Amino acid sequence: MTDLPSLPQGTLDLLILRTLARGPRHGYGVARWIEETTDDALSIEEGSLYPALYRMERRGWIAATWKKSDLGKAIKVYALTDRGRVELRSRTAEWGHLIAAVDKVLRAR
Amino acid sequence: MPDDPKEPAGIDDEIAFHVEMQTQRYVAAGLDPAAARERAIQRLGDIERARQLCHRITVQIEMDKETNMERAAWWHGLRQDVIYAWRVMRKAPAFTLTALLTIAMGIGATTAIFSIVNTVLFRGAPYPNANRIGVIWNSYSATGLSQAAVAAAEFADIRDTSQAFDGVAALRPQTSSLSGGCAGGGSPCEPERITAYVVSPNLFDLLGVMPGQGRPFTAADGVTGAPRVVLLSDSLWRRRFGGDAAIVGRTITVGALPRTVIGVMPPGVKFPDAPIGFLRMPADLWIPYGWEQSRTDNRGNQVLGVLARRRSGVSQERAQADLDTIAAGFRQRFPDRYAEADVKWRLKAVPINEQIVGDVRTSLLVLLGAVSVVLLITCANVANLMLARGTVRRRELAVRSALGAARARLVRQLLVETGVLVAAGGALGIALALAAIKGLVALDAGNIPLLELAGLDVTVLMFAVVVTMVTGLLVGVAPAFRHATADPQRALAGADRASGDSSIRNRLRRVLVIAEVTLAVVVLVGAGLLLRSFARMVSVPTGFEPADTVVAQLALPRAQYDSEAKILAFQRDFLDRLSALPGATGASAVYPLPMSGDGWSGTVIVESQPAESGLPEPHAEYSVVMPGYFATLRIPVVEGREFTSADQVGAMRVAIVDDQFARRYWPGESAIGKRVTPFGRLPPGDTRWSTVIGVVGHVRRGGPRIESEPQFYLPALQAPELTLYFVVRTTGGEAPLLSAIRDTVRALDPQLPIARLSSTTALVSRVLARDRFNMLLLSSFGAVALAIAAVGLYGLLAFLVTQRTREIGIRLALGGRPGRVLRGVLGEGLILAAIGLALGCAVAAFAAPALGNLLYAVEPTDPLTYAGIVVVLLAVAGAASYLPARRATRIDAATVLRN
Repeated sequence: MTDLPSLPQGTLDLLILRTLARGPRHGYGVARWIEETTDDALSIEEGSLYPALYRMERRGWIAATWKKSDLGKAIKVYALTDRGRVELRSRTAEWGHLIAAVDKVLRAR
Repeated sequence: MPDDPKEPAGIDDEIAFHVEMQTQRYVAAGLDPAAARERAIQRLGDIERARQLCHRITVQIEMDKETNMERAAWWHGLRQDVIYAWRVMRKAPAFTLTALLTIAMGIGATTAIFSIVNTVLFRGAPYPNANRIGVIWNSYSATGLSQAAVAAAEFADIRDTSQAFDGVAALRPQTSSLSGGCAGGGSPCEPERITAYVVSPNLFDLLGVMPGQGRPFTAADGVTGAPRVVLLSDSLWRRRFGGDAAIVGRTITVGALPRTVIGVMPPGVKFPDAPIGFLRMPADLWIPYGWEQSRTDNRGNQVLGVLARRRSGVSQERAQADLDTIAAGFRQRFPDRYAEADVKWRLKAVPINEQIVGDVRTSLLVLLGAVSVVLLITCANVANLMLARGTVRRRELAVRSALGAARARLVRQLLVETGVLVAAGGALGIALALAAIKGLVALDAGNIPLLELAGLDVTVLMFAVVVTMVTGLLVGVAPAFRHATADPQRALAGADRASGDSSIRNRLRRVLVIAEVTLAVVVLVGAGLLLRSFARMVSVPTGFEPADTVVAQLALPRAQYDSEAKILAFQRDFLDRLSALPGATGASAVYPLPMSGDGWSGTVIVESQPAESGLPEPHAEYSVVMPGYFATLRIPVVEGREFTSADQVGAMRVAIVDDQFARRYWPGESAIGKRVTPFGRLPPGDTRWSTVIGVVGHVRRGGPRIESEPQFYLPALQAPELTLYFVVRTTGGEAPLLSAIRDTVRALDPQLPIARLSSTTALVSRVLARDRFNMLLLSSFGAVALAIAAVGLYGLLAFLVTQRTREIGIRLALGGRPGRVLRGVLGEGLILAAIGLALGCAVAAFAAPALGNLLYAVEPTDPLTYAGIVVVLLAVAGAASYLPARRATRIDAATVLRN
């Protein structure tokens, strides 16, 4: 796994926000969605998802509810809040600018 | 599947669930359970660190929640306090209304006066470069009071040789008639008298203002022979041309000459906005002229006002030194003109703001001081009301305290109550201030310079807010802590009567009432001194009787009335028609009308009285008058006769002098038959000598504050003037005559504008307008101060009587005489008033000299004023004390004891 590209700082938040924009999910669900959409191409420690989720919950970007899981256990389900949606929009734009800028430098001759 | 299970799980459950699900997936993919589990855990990475982070964040979230709750609780509490305060206030409407209105009045009055002070004194002239602009005068006295105009040659020299100024401009007023230029052209666009200023083209550049539309003057506009142009003021543009957007480029007629409008100045620019020396009227329009072109060696023809802008970085002192150098040059080059001038002669620059507002600084600062004192009295009074309320609410507060309310909570509650009250009072006060400013602007009628610019701006609002906050502090803080610290047990036990705590409070209340009386006396003394001054001024004999007469000024255009015969034909015809108006008992004309603000004076030569060398030639005020003038204004003819229609061109030249003139130049002998002339030293055989045919009473032409010079009169029939004030005496009331005069003018010459048509009394009373304004304002402040102090005294005594109801009742029951009780309460009130009175008189005697020249023929320590205040105050204090005293005597012992 060490060969895989690791995430630039702060990008994990963006991925989580984007994932939750598709609908509420538990932590495992978020991990699975990222893994599947990237074909497991990113090196993410899945454990680091949880502190990120908690942080965003504290900031009010996402809200948590408790649901009973299929296994009959209580499980936390996260959903994007309005503030989270705003955050997602601005971070997506930022990301676009970053990529475009880096790309320009790389293509410059 | 129910949501929200009772026991929320933590991070451990989430991770366990994660591992479980992942393991199942790997098992399904074919791994054996142990390997699948290991793989799932490996994918999670540093799980211990994640767990710790999540725990920490969970704790933080909990803490956040608590903080938010506390904050919400605090706000909720505050809201409850406000609602509670509102309820408490509504339950005591008399107290609330009294306190609210008192605060509103105090804050409103202070804010209104501050707004005026801020506009006039602090902001000053509304020009970007105002603090670098000075007005240059020929000054003939060391004190700087002498401000004579500047000759064109002098202006040109200052302009060309000064080092300190980067701009010098001259201007000269010119009253003109204006016609034409109205939209549509054909519409009746009446001619009117306007004030034009003929100005250096760089005037507005120097001031730092540009036209709101059109173009500014350029140097080329001032050259003789250039196309005739004009700039309009915004107010003229709106008033006469209805704000016509197409005015620029149109031609108007000013003083019989067509001129093209090149622009309109922005609103508020009417330079000179306020009187600057002899430049008294605000401008309606400006005409460019390069005054330096009329440079001649005639340095005596001093007709210009001159403005100069210091280069940035050049101090006022350096500019003055520069002018002194230039003046020294004048003396050297023109010894005839300047060396013989008074040795005190110099060119003097006066900063324009000082020039404009110098006169009113004292009166505005006095008014601001007085209104601040009234606000202090207000604060003392409301604080006293609060203390009284506190005593009434002692039980309530004690109950709340006993029920467990923390002291801080109670303090907050009381502070919120004060805050709500004062904030509401402040808001109401600002609304009052807005109305008051409008009222003051209307009351003053153009007497205080720049006053019309006063309003509620950000500075004034901030001032009001700060004043409100200070009021809140003065009024609320002490009572809040005092009440909240009261011992609840004693209060509940009813021990508040005569307890130590309550006696301290009563002492504080007495001190507050004494302070109120003291401050009120200070304001009253100021008001009294101004009232006495005003009475003195009004009682100064003016020498003429303006009552029952009306006046109208007509200035005949020179282009149309180009010969003496035409002028006199019109004026005589007009006078005949005026005399025939219903109710008219006499009509005549004069220029200048006494106390109208216009004035003429000059050298008069008295025959066979050569001036001693070194002494100035006789100087006198002079006027031209039509026959019947002295009878119409009831100026007594002391000796000889007044002018008749026989004293006309061709007949012997005649003159009338006043008794001062006669006494000064022919002491001990009759003035009749003596000869005088304003035309300089004439040979004895010259026909221009005028023979004195009458002596009349002296007329105070400039009002009581200005000592008039000796006066002499020439007949208008022999020395015709284009501009005259026509005066009509009536028995039928002044109002109907005004429209009759207007109709008469229309019938004779529909193109002729009428100026200053009004009752003569109204016109001449403007001489005292500023004194009246000061006197009225300070008197109303005095009245308010007295009323508040009286209410304060009454409130205190009424409260003390209520507090001592039991004691008084018992005394009366035991045979005490009601008279003694009455005297006791009355005495207490009068003693408090007397202490305040003594202190107030002492402070007033110390402060009154600050009134300075607002006083007229009254000393700051005028005993009559102080005696009057003592009488008034003791009377009011007696009345305020009598009501509670009488109530004390009616206390029914039986009822008291039963309770």
